[in-house]
Amino acid sequence: MAEAALRLDGVTSGYGEAMVLRDVSLTLLPGEILTVLGKNGMGKSTLLKTIMGFLPPREGRVHIHGRDVTRLPPHRRAGGSVSYSPQDQAIFQDLTVGENLRLGLRSDRGAAAAVERVTAFFPFLAQRGRQPAGTLSGGEQKMLIMARALLSNPRLLLIDEISEGLQPSVILRLAEVLRRECAARELTILIIEQNLRFALSVASRYAVLVRGEIVDGGRVAPGVEARIQDHLAV
Amino acid sequence: MRLPSQRFRRELRILIMLVLCGLLIVAVGPLVLDRYSVSILVRSFLYGSIAVTVDILWGFTGILSFGQSAFFGIGAYACGLAFDHFGISPGVALAALAAGLAVAGLVALLVAWLAFGARVSALYVSVVTLVLAIVFVQVIYAGGNFTGSSSGLSDFDTFDLSTAAWFRIAGAGLVVVTALGWIFVRSDMGSLLVSIRENETRCRYFGISVTWVKGGLLLASAIVAALAGFAYAGYNDVVAPDLGNFQFGTQLVIWVALGGRGTLIGPAIVAVLVDFVSAYLSGSLPFIWQLIIGGVFIVVIVAMPQGLGPACVAVIRRLIARPADAAPVAARLIAVPLRPTARGAQTPAIQLTGVTRSYGSLHVLEDITFSGRSGELVSLVGPNGAGKTTLIRCISDGEERTAGRVALQGCEIGRMAPERCVRLGLGRKFQAPTVFDALTVGQSLRVARSRIERLSFWRCADEIRLPEAAMRVVRATGLDTQLATTVRHLSHGAKQALELAMVLAMEPSVLMLDEPTAGLTKSERTVIGGILMELVAQHGLCILLIEHDLAFVREISSRIIVLYQGRIVLDGAVEEVASSELVRTIYTGEPQALGEPV
Amino acid sequence: MIDLFLDIVTTAGILYVVAVGLLVVFGVLKIINFAHGGFLTIGGYAALITTELHLSPWVAPPLALVVGIVLGMVVERLIVRPLYSRPLDAILATWGLSIVVVQLITIGFGRGTQFVMSPLQGAVPLLGTSYSLYRLAMLATALIIGAAIAAILQGTRLGLTARAVIMNETLAQSLGINSALVRFVTFSVGAGLATMAGALITPLLSIDPLMGVPWLLNAFMLVMVSGTSLVSLALASLVLGGAQVVVSTYGNPILGALTIVVLAALLLRVRPAGFARA
Repeated sequence: MAEAALRLDGVTSGYGEAMVLRDVSLTLLPGEILTVLGKNGMGKSTLLKTIMGFLPPREGRVHIHGRDVTRLPPHRRAGGSVSYSPQDQAIFQDLTVGENLRLGLRSDRGAAAAVERVTAFFPFLAQRGRQPAGTLSGGEQKMLIMARALLSNPRLLLIDEISEGLQPSVILRLAEVLRRECAARELTILIIEQNLRFALSVASRYAVLVRGEIVDGGRVAPGVEARIQDHLAV
Repeated sequence: MRLPSQRFRRELRILIMLVLCGLLIVAVGPLVLDRYSVSILVRSFLYGSIAVTVDILWGFTGILSFGQSAFFGIGAYACGLAFDHFGISPGVALAALAAGLAVAGLVALLVAWLAFGARVSALYVSVVTLVLAIVFVQVIYAGGNFTGSSSGLSDFDTFDLSTAAWFRIAGAGLVVVTALGWIFVRSDMGSLLVSIRENETRCRYFGISVTWVKGGLLLASAIVAALAGFAYAGYNDVVAPDLGNFQFGTQLVIWVALGGRGTLIGPAIVAVLVDFVSAYLSGSLPFIWQLIIGGVFIVVIVAMPQGLGPACVAVIRRLIARPADAAPVAARLIAVPLRPTARGAQTPAIQLTGVTRSYGSLHVLEDITFSGRSGELVSLVGPNGAGKTTLIRCISDGEERTAGRVALQGCEIGRMAPERCVRLGLGRKFQAPTVFDALTVGQSLRVARSRIERLSFWRCADEIRLPEAAMRVVRATGLDTQLATTVRHLSHGAKQALELAMVLAMEPSVLMLDEPTAGLTKSERTVIGGILMELVAQHGLCILLIEHDLAFVREISSRIIVLYQGRIVLDGAVEEVASSELVRTIYTGEPQALGEPV
Repeated sequence: MIDLFLDIVTTAGILYVVAVGLLVVFGVLKIINFAHGGFLTIGGYAALITTELHLSPWVAPPLALVVGIVLGMVVERLIVRPLYSRPLDAILATWGLSIVVVQLITIGFGRGTQFVMSPLQGAVPLLGTSYSLYRLAMLATALIIGAAIAAILQGTRLGLTARAVIMNETLAQSLGINSALVRFVTFSVGAGLATMAGALITPLLSIDPLMGVPWLLNAFMLVMVSGTSLVSLALASLVLGGAQVVVSTYGNPILGALTIVVLAALLLRVRPAGFARA
């Protein structure tokens, strides 16, 4: 069996006294796309923050590519092989588009080629390099986030609610890019979503989070949509 | 569970014993100590008193002042200037004291007006007090011969009192100030100070005039410092600009931090000890001593932020294992009926007309117009970022909106601050549980009700009177068995319930709830839903509710308003909105998300 | 009139040089380094040592810069790092540090007032008047320091990283930026700028163990009204420093000494963002 790209063993975590995640275990194999679904306040973003090390877990361990990273600070997990796009304030509003992209790479060496590769997905970025990122529209900002996340050729991508507030055409574009990248280079993706259709159109597996616990999960197959909606309606 | 008055009586006995011991030591001191020690300790005692005021300001209330020295200086110069220029007589002394206290008081009010007013940062009071100390020194410099400029005034005629008498006056003063301060901070009013430190915004939304409380506190502490300064000049026969400079002001803060902020006794003891030892060592190793103090201070701040006092106490506790003070202390809860409120049935409880909130060219809210009547539960739904919380902010704080009008119970809120909106009958529960971590559950409920029942300056009430609705929230969530528990130790859900109970305790007529049941169990939610419906149906409240759980919304609302991208897109009866295709698509993009059976 | 103008711009230059280290630290670390005055004093005494060793006075500023950077590294690691989450305590601890610095210097050099050699003596004719060459050099230094910091921030990857940490530290971390390292470097540079400023201003004044305190207070107020912007700091130095010169010249020097702190405090009351963009 191949080494897991991401493995969580019995992770419990939260803020102060409040436990937001309870005993969560999951494994992602290389090349898989897992979507974690759930309503607001069910612990989805907390899950990503715990994986990234912004919240140290109370219990359990986090492994990335076979390495135990439970005690590593966020910046040692990010960069290089792992890319993370947070839900809120995921771009530097006052920096230019070009500078935002540069920050997606560890160094400026080979930056031009990498930028060229990702701007092929979102051509408008190439012309707007000098524009402050805060002046982009909401959808454009999301595409910038996606481009920056893919820039460093990550092997694991963690995405928090990328589709929120986007028009369907942009969502389709993002889904297409993700699928293509995944197929081309064994990219592993964990994607947090509220938008069920987008999530299921991208993912190969799903997990449902209700009050900090994974209550359901499996392969994405015809018919699971209704089953997931039952969970979300609770 | 012990009542506060029982604890108070017990503690008062100990306090009286301690005060008597203190006074005895002060009375006997001059007989057993050498002359030099006695003469130094007079000054140390005066410094101790000011350290106590700095601790009340900073340790309890969170006001970090670098300029408490300036008030001390003002008192000292009132004495020095009067005696130097007019000689000494009882009349001059009294007039000088009155003038010194008056000037100190006025300056304190000026500082309060500058620092506790509108929208300035929490650090601003530190900036202003720092500037105050600088200005004090420069004013003395500018006074030329009148104030003695940089060399100050000395050798003026002063009170004909022996050093021993001064020792007893200053010592008794320190004992009294500390004891009174101790009673004050343990009273209900003391809980209020801590609640201001913990969460000033929450206090404002309980209708507490935080500005006035902090201003009054600054005034009182300025008066004490000026009194100490007056005594200092009268005793020492010397005044100099250094008495009021910012280095001395900072020195006071250092003593408080060393002794343990929020302990009163710690700062008093450290101030006296450090000043006393400094004077002793100033001859032999002046700079080394200051160096040691500086070094110890850094270590204490970095390694034991609670200060030396609490650290020592913890060690002693460990050595002498005594049975813990078992009985927890809390007041009794008493259910009271809601006060009748005069509400015209005709005027809407909330009335918004064209409310807009913009950040530059970005409109978070645009042209919001709706009204809510008494006896209506209006739910506000919409996706994240639709502007729901912003809307609540605009209704409860007059400074928030960019344009439009808001009226509560028929009164325009204009540019009113939250505490004044609260007086129109508004109650607001924040999205994240917003509570006072350092208080107990009982103290929190008491503070929340302070606008209706005045807080005592010297004792804790035995009874907390809560309206029936607040009482039911407390009982349903088990908070009534945790009245003596510190809020910090409560679960997330219990904090949510506590904040709701606190808001209900102030008996609002217009209630705004931002996700009040997030983090609660199913059964607790059901209870709270029931209470909300009852408040609306029987007591005629108008409730505006933000909630994501649409099944819950459908169950309890009388009306639903849908907000999308800063605009109202639907406003209607529950079934009408819930079955609307528009809402289904914009809300989550998923038809079933409104809780309809598939 | 020309003299007044030159006084204003050179005073602004001096204030900028003195305050810029504090601003850099505040911008990235969000804490106020009250040891800034202590670092200024150390820089002054570094200049004194170069004078006493009969080295060229040109050696003093770079020497002070190096000393400051090294001290800054030690201080960041031992005192400042544990206090990132307690900014008020950081003010107090760094003030404690400045007490220690003052006492160490007093023990080492005595309490007396001393003087150092100036690398540039005399006056030059300028705009029809004759003006102190050193003060003009200070203005040039301010412009050079400002330009250098701006160039580093805008033009290098290190600068880009620092700006990213200033704007959104969490996001910077999630992009793999080691923000602790950025803080460490920034604090050291800020300390170095402070000591260098101390060495630069001493030829204009005397030095004593307490020389840093009034400068600290002015620098603190300037930073309070400037937020985290270098441009705002330049503007604040010019406006408040200019007011100080005018008040000292036409009013009296004692009022002049108060001008910056009082105006800054009042400005913050009416406009909490100060000179920074709201």
